[in-house]
Amino acid sequence: MNYGNPKLRELLAGEYVLGLLRGAARRRFQRLLIEDARLCKGVVDWEGKLAAWNRNLKPLAPPDSVWRKLQVRLKADAQPREKPSGWPARRALWSGAVTLATALVLVVGVFIGRSLVTPPGAPAYVAVMSSAQGRPLWLISVYSKSRRIDMQALANNTPPAGKSYELWMLPGHGKPVAMGLMNSEGLASASLNPRIIAALVSAKGLAISIEPYGGSPTGQPTGPVVYVAPIVST
Amino acid sequence: MTLSAQTPLDKTRVLMDLLHGCAQGQQSSFQKLYQLTSPQLFAILVRILKRRDWAEEALQDAFLSVWRNAASYTAQKGAPLTWLVSICRYRALDLLRREHREVYLESSGDEDGDAWLTEFADQSQADDFISHAEARALKRCLDELNEGQRNSLRLAYFDGCSHEEIASVLRAPLGTVKSWVRRGLQGLKHCLEAA
Repeated sequence: MNYGNPKLRELLAGEYVLGLLRGAARRRFQRLLIEDARLCKGVVDWEGKLAAWNRNLKPLAPPDSVWRKLQVRLKADAQPREKPSGWPARRALWSGAVTLATALVLVVGVFIGRSLVTPPGAPAYVAVMSSAQGRPLWLISVYSKSRRIDMQALANNTPPAGKSYELWMLPGHGKPVAMGLMNSEGLASASLNPRIIAALVSAKGLAISIEPYGGSPTGQPTGPVVYVAPIVST
Repeated sequence: MTLSAQTPLDKTRVLMDLLHGCAQGQQSSFQKLYQLTSPQLFAILVRILKRRDWAEEALQDAFLSVWRNAASYTAQKGAPLTWLVSICRYRALDLLRREHREVYLESSGDEDGDAWLTEFADQSQADDFISHAEARALKRCLDELNEGQRNSLRLAYFDGCSHEEIASVLRAPLGTVKSWVRRGLQGLKHCLEAA
């Protein structure tokens, strides 16, 4: 798409504000917003123009419970370690992902196995993060002997503007455990805490949430959970 | 705090003060900001998400994000209420994409789908932050668009519909809807900037 054309940029900014840019087009646009101040201005202009439309909506007071829950979350924000788990239940998403991802582990595992320069022995655990449409996005491999995690991006997985993708382990019991930030492309490796590796045996799976740039400020997921995958023990 | 006697410009200054207070970590500012703006924002979220429980969740998320990001608010990001509306809208759109909501739009196929627009247009609302003049200019410009264009913009903006969903609601080909949206945006911009 030609982002150099001012008229087209204008329209794209309008479509973005309307919520009509989706998927890859939306991600590309959000990436551009990081570096392009004029495009940002285009977005703000449209937001302002259309906001007047909301005048016609009759205000509606939210129930008091919203404010109470908000206060709890604010307190948790101030004391990160005592944050109550805001982890949402996503069983439906989960169950669909399980069968699909299991199948993909086999397919993608073979495919990726070849591209690694020095295969460091077989991973103890693997997981494939896939989009809702079933497109594989990352292959995650955990090597228990070397206490390493490899994250191989299988697509260009750029997070939304100003955000990071963060990986979480969903332990058998208790709150999600942070496992680090995801790379948007290529292969990234990190060392893993032995306690996390030990907990993977009984973990319910892995999940990725969208967090503020640099990762969750609280040590718990704060943004939407966008991908979940089961852990396959090899 | 009552704002009813103030002009939209005064109210905008109040909101700016409150956002500044939030940026300083003042919870009292945050609470006032919530009291003043949550009814308007909640109405937007209920409209777009159609489900109260989702709207409540989105409102919480949005205000948490406001609290965290208040320090980054500057006039460059638009009027304070516009900034708040945008945070809510993008949050709602994320939620819609995540949940793959099935669209159900009670009034969408109606020929007078814009009836609600005129219904409230002249009603003065005590806690309204948007000037009547701005709303009137927008309405006049929307009236200049053809029906397909206007309905396409409305379904996207208020109901979070995708191009495909708009096409199914308006029973029009996808290509036609895409061009309605683009012509609608062009027409709106031209009209608003000429005014």
